[in-house]
Amino acid sequence: MIAILGLAIGLIGGLIIEPEVPDALRPYLPIAVVAALDASFGALRAYLDDIFDDKVFVVSFLSNVIIAALIVYLGDKLGVGNQLSTGVVVVLGIRIFSNVAAIRRHIFHA
Amino acid sequence: MIMRPPYQRNSSTPSQRTPSSWDLLERVSATALDEDYAKAAAQRDDDPRGRRRMPRTLGSLGLIGLGLLVTATALQTRSDEPAEAQERTALISQISERESEISRLASRTDELESDVEGLQGTNEQIGSRGEELLDTLNESQLLAGSVPVTGPGVRIVVDDESEGVSGSGGTILDVDLQVLVNGLWQAGSEAIAINGNRLGALSAIRTAGRAITVNYNSLTRPYVVTAIGNPDTLEASFADTPGGQAWFDLQTNYGIHFDMETVDDLTLPAVPDDRLDTQYATRQGQLP
Repeated sequence: MIAILGLAIGLIGGLIIEPEVPDALRPYLPIAVVAALDASFGALRAYLDDIFDDKVFVVSFLSNVIIAALIVYLGDKLGVGNQLSTGVVVVLGIRIFSNVAAIRRHIFHA
Repeated sequence: MIMRPPYQRNSSTPSQRTPSSWDLLERVSATALDEDYAKAAAQRDDDPRGRRRMPRTLGSLGLIGLGLLVTATALQTRSDEPAEAQERTALISQISERESEISRLASRTDELESDVEGLQGTNEQIGSRGEELLDTLNESQLLAGSVPVTGPGVRIVVDDESEGVSGSGGTILDVDLQVLVNGLWQAGSEAIAINGNRLGALSAIRTAGRAITVNYNSLTRPYVVTAIGNPDTLEASFADTPGGQAWFDLQTNYGIHFDMETVDDLTLPAVPDDRLDTQYATRQGQLP
């Protein structure tokens, strides 16, 4: 319950304050979101597996976001930003899919 | 036994399997859940005080972060849209601009092509006109004597009476040569020269001092008159002219030498330039 509340507060707060993202960070925002989604779905699965841990979630969330953004930043500097973004999105996408599949099995037992 | 893709046929145990991109994808999906959760859970199980496995403050903060990230990205993407739309509109207007320019240039091309066709027609007209003019010029030059000419004709050698043949003192006068030349013109000559002096429209045959001059050149005996004309008829025609009659008289009565022969190939020089100039006569009307 408190989790859904947190998510709602984040979404509504974001809508209300409309955070200004610095131009330098803007290209890495979508990748950061995908990484954050990955961490969050992982957390939901852990919660359903009954092994959820606050600290692990926050650490994985932050490290996911930062590392994904860093990888893309490095790729940009090396001139392979697009390819690396694609790679990151593919890997995170696969993780999200398998986590969501596990969650689905938990909820529907199928 | 682990299920593995059928194309990995050379391995018996998982540890010997050739690394491949398939393995990588497999591993990615196998470790989709952070191992740390399991480790933390194991530690908690060992710890009798065990924390509650429910998201609390820290987890809520993480989710707030997720919400913020999502909205920020969504808002950013939406705010980028107008710029992209503007860009697209600008590109579309550029495209239509270029297209209209292309059609304008195409019509210009058509215009120029028809121009070129017209000019080609004009060019051909000018070319044929030029040829016409060249023909006229050639004819005029031949008639005026401004160019050397060659052709068949007759060569006439005339000379004063030999010493003491008739005693009547037969000497050729300028008028005799005038009569001779006139007869040759009448007989159909097209170009005449006396001692290599071509007769033009302004050439006079006259006596100056003791000599006869043509084109201001004094002539010395014997006088050689060359005339280009029909070699078959020139000689006979000349005999029929008054000039021919006169010279027959000169021959018989004054012992003047007259020797005429037909020649296949005569070359006559051009009239000197100073005998081709006109100072007072100017053209009436246009060039042909």
